Amino acid sequence: MGTYIARRLLLMIPTLLGITLLVFSLVAMAPGGIGAGLQVSGGQMSDTSRVMQMQAYLEDRYGLNDPVIVQYGRWLAQISPVKFGPRFQLAPSGIWVKPPRDLPDPPLRGWFEPPSGAELDLAAVSGVSTFEGMRSMDAHERHRSLQRDSEAARRAYVGSIRGFREVLADYARAQGLQDLLDAKGAADPRRFEGVTPIRQGTAWDALAAAAQAMHTAQRSAVTKAAAERASFDAAPYPRMGVPLVPDLLWLGSPDLGVAFSKNRPVSELIRSALPVTLLLNLIAFPIIYLIAIPTGVLAATRRGSWFDSASGAVFLMLWSVPTVLAGVLLIGFVANQQYLGLFPVSGLHDTQAETWTFLPTFGSGFERGWLLDLLWHVALPVTCLVYGGFAVLSKQCRAAMLDNLSADYVRTAKAKGVPKVDVVIRHVFRNSLLPLITMFVGIFPAMLGGSVVVERIFSVPGMGTLILEAIDLRDREIILANTFMIACVNLLALLLADILYAVADPRVSYE
Amino acid sequence: MSVQAQASVASNAPRSAAPLLEVADLAVSFDNASNPGGPRIQAVAGVNMTLFPRQTLAVVGESGCGKSVTAMSAMQLIPRPPGRFDRGSILLEGRDLLSMPESEMLRVRGGEIAMIFQEPMTSLNPVYSIGDQILEAILLHQKLTPDQAVERAIGALEEVGIYNRLKERFKDDALALARGKRDLLSEYPHRFSGGMRQRVMIAMALACQPKVLLADEPTTALDVTIQAQILDLLRQLQNDRGMGIMLITHNLGVVAENADVVCVMYAGRVVEYAPVFELFENPMHPYTRGLFASIPGVRDHRSRLTTVEDVTHEPAEFRKLPGADRGVIPWWPHMPEERRPPLADGRDPYCLHRIGPNRWVGCWRTPELESQASPRPSLDFRRGG
Repeated sequence: MGTYIARRLLLMIPTLLGITLLVFSLVAMAPGGIGAGLQVSGGQMSDTSRVMQMQAYLEDRYGLNDPVIVQYGRWLAQISPVKFGPRFQLAPSGIWVKPPRDLPDPPLRGWFEPPSGAELDLAAVSGVSTFEGMRSMDAHERHRSLQRDSEAARRAYVGSIRGFREVLADYARAQGLQDLLDAKGAADPRRFEGVTPIRQGTAWDALAAAAQAMHTAQRSAVTKAAAERASFDAAPYPRMGVPLVPDLLWLGSPDLGVAFSKNRPVSELIRSALPVTLLLNLIAFPIIYLIAIPTGVLAATRRGSWFDSASGAVFLMLWSVPTVLAGVLLIGFVANQQYLGLFPVSGLHDTQAETWTFLPTFGSGFERGWLLDLLWHVALPVTCLVYGGFAVLSKQCRAAMLDNLSADYVRTAKAKGVPKVDVVIRHVFRNSLLPLITMFVGIFPAMLGGSVVVERIFSVPGMGTLILEAIDLRDREIILANTFMIACVNLLALLLADILYAVADPRVSYE
Repeated sequence: MSVQAQASVASNAPRSAAPLLEVADLAVSFDNASNPGGPRIQAVAGVNMTLFPRQTLAVVGESGCGKSVTAMSAMQLIPRPPGRFDRGSILLEGRDLLSMPESEMLRVRGGEIAMIFQEPMTSLNPVYSIGDQILEAILLHQKLTPDQAVERAIGALEEVGIYNRLKERFKDDALALARGKRDLLSEYPHRFSGGMRQRVMIAMALACQPKVLLADEPTTALDVTIQAQILDLLRQLQNDRGMGIMLITHNLGVVAENADVVCVMYAGRVVEYAPVFELFENPMHPYTRGLFASIPGVRDHRSRLTTVEDVTHEPAEFRKLPGADRGVIPWWPHMPEERRPPLADGRDPYCLHRIGPNRWVGCWRTPELESQASPRPSLDFRRGG
């Protein structure tokens, strides 16, 4: 059994790689590609170079302008527990402090003279000398400050590259080099690499000025980054993880990354959305199981009775109602103040809920309290989650029971004098567990994934809402993190199912 | 097939033993699922038979003739509906099993009447160890501590010879043998062969020392060697305990070698009832003769085997009973109307007629036969001594 589990766990690695690659490709192939949400908001104001530079910065920050396969590789390195490079450090705020990333080279170096002051002397700007003016700060503050400066300089530099490219496009048009522009009329400096420029005219002057600005910005960015790197190397915060090879290879926890549509760590978003979804499902699933399974058992033992037909008909009827319709009808009739107005329309809490006690109070007039308020709010979403679930489970249970009710060993048990209830529970139900186990483990991924439709209708800020928003904005990190989590849980649940099979049925063995 | 020719009339001397199980005029019918409004399917239509202690009563007949339904009725294992007991009774030492309330029936099932089935491969619950399954039967019917129950289970398996291999292996090591016996209890059925499983079934059935064992084709699914072993085992246990066995089979070889009394059934009715040797030497009902004729011999070189129909289609075959001239004609549902004796009323045209001291044959009911009023078939006869 141990080797079997180990083998299954190892097999999960390629499976997960395949799943994430597939999802990554899907996101990349979607219209607009990764980060389409950002480009839409940028496109509306494309004239202002400030917005353009901001967009360039965001693309640089989240690596959106790299080829998809590079992005995927970077994401894998991020999620992998085995990490390359220096160990991260953990700030007291819980933020992971990472070393500064490498800066891109300025484009079309060969077209311009080296900036005044000759080559950058990195050695001169690195080291302790940079800290001179900051002696009074503590290490944390100093690092934060250096990080901020470095980030600002990087933003300016990346923005200046984008500006340079705009000017380069104008220059190309002025010099009759339109062929080198892409379909959208934008210039990719790499395509100008082999061209000898005509160094005259206003267009050239503008380009030279842009290059000048770019080179200045680069120098500043390199200097600041070197300072940040030096500060990082001095390790102002405790290092994270377990070193394997110093400064090269270490073990850390997977990093789900930062959601670029919200500028917050994905793990934080999930941490706030998951409990909501779990709450809904932890109420819904027990209700489904506690009603559907006994109903299925009873329907099977009384096959053909009115109970069998009635339960089947009612459950199938419920199952046939689309959740969307049921949700809207519930809101329209049960929640709407103009009709019954029994339940709140959306959300999880009353606006005043935070000021209430946990349990209801009856002292000076009834106040429902936090818990009751919560249950009152989730009543309709839970109803929507539950009502359609009875049919499949109870029918499966009934079918499995019927398979076994007529089995020979059941006759044997009856011939032994086992009372009828024991025959049904001990012998028939026990043998009907396998299909139920298969269905049971399906709960786990569903719990994480949340119900997109129900959460959307009732404006519940759960996982379903989170992933839907992420898909709208093509937020790579959230989509991938979600998929990755659900895939992991799914694979683990399947393994759990296989283990449970062996527990439930002695004929199943993995030795 | 070798019928031992020693018809021991001596052992047929009247004994004072009371019958264990009496099936009297049992009729069982089922709903017609394919034709809900139509006539009910009459699986058993007035069957009589009697089982004495230490006796093996073989019930023979083709599939669907009502053998199993009779046995299942004794256990009240016929699902009702669709089944229904139309009339008759099954008496276990004088108590009617058909009208017994379920609470009492739970004590009878497994406790006083045990049953083993045809399919050893599927008759054991796959998810419980054989020990659990035997213990379940023991603890249901006997007030024992768990330790005593385990001892009893081991004893039951011992009796059916499950441990023979183990005993050979641990000849010199009593401790290992004891441990091995106990370990075997926690084995699951799928680890056993068909013959071993049938032994487990028998151990389970006999663990509570029942008075009657209903063996519903216990060896049909087993090969000949195992079949002989299982039947020897049953006979030996029967001798040790004085249990009555109703052996349901359609294997005439098994009947010849194991039965004391044979009850031949056809279409839900008893067509012939006789001690085993007398039946094999002189089958009186054409159907019985047809059955025997249809058994191929190794040295027969025929292109076509004799079938039951070959015999029953022969009108002369129906004129061989003593009293044939007075209208004693074997009952046969497929007989053309014109050859049947005329019947005045619309009642059941069948009756079981006592032809000789040890012989009952199913005949067409005539006013004359009705006036003679044959007693119910009851033969307190055992082979050998």
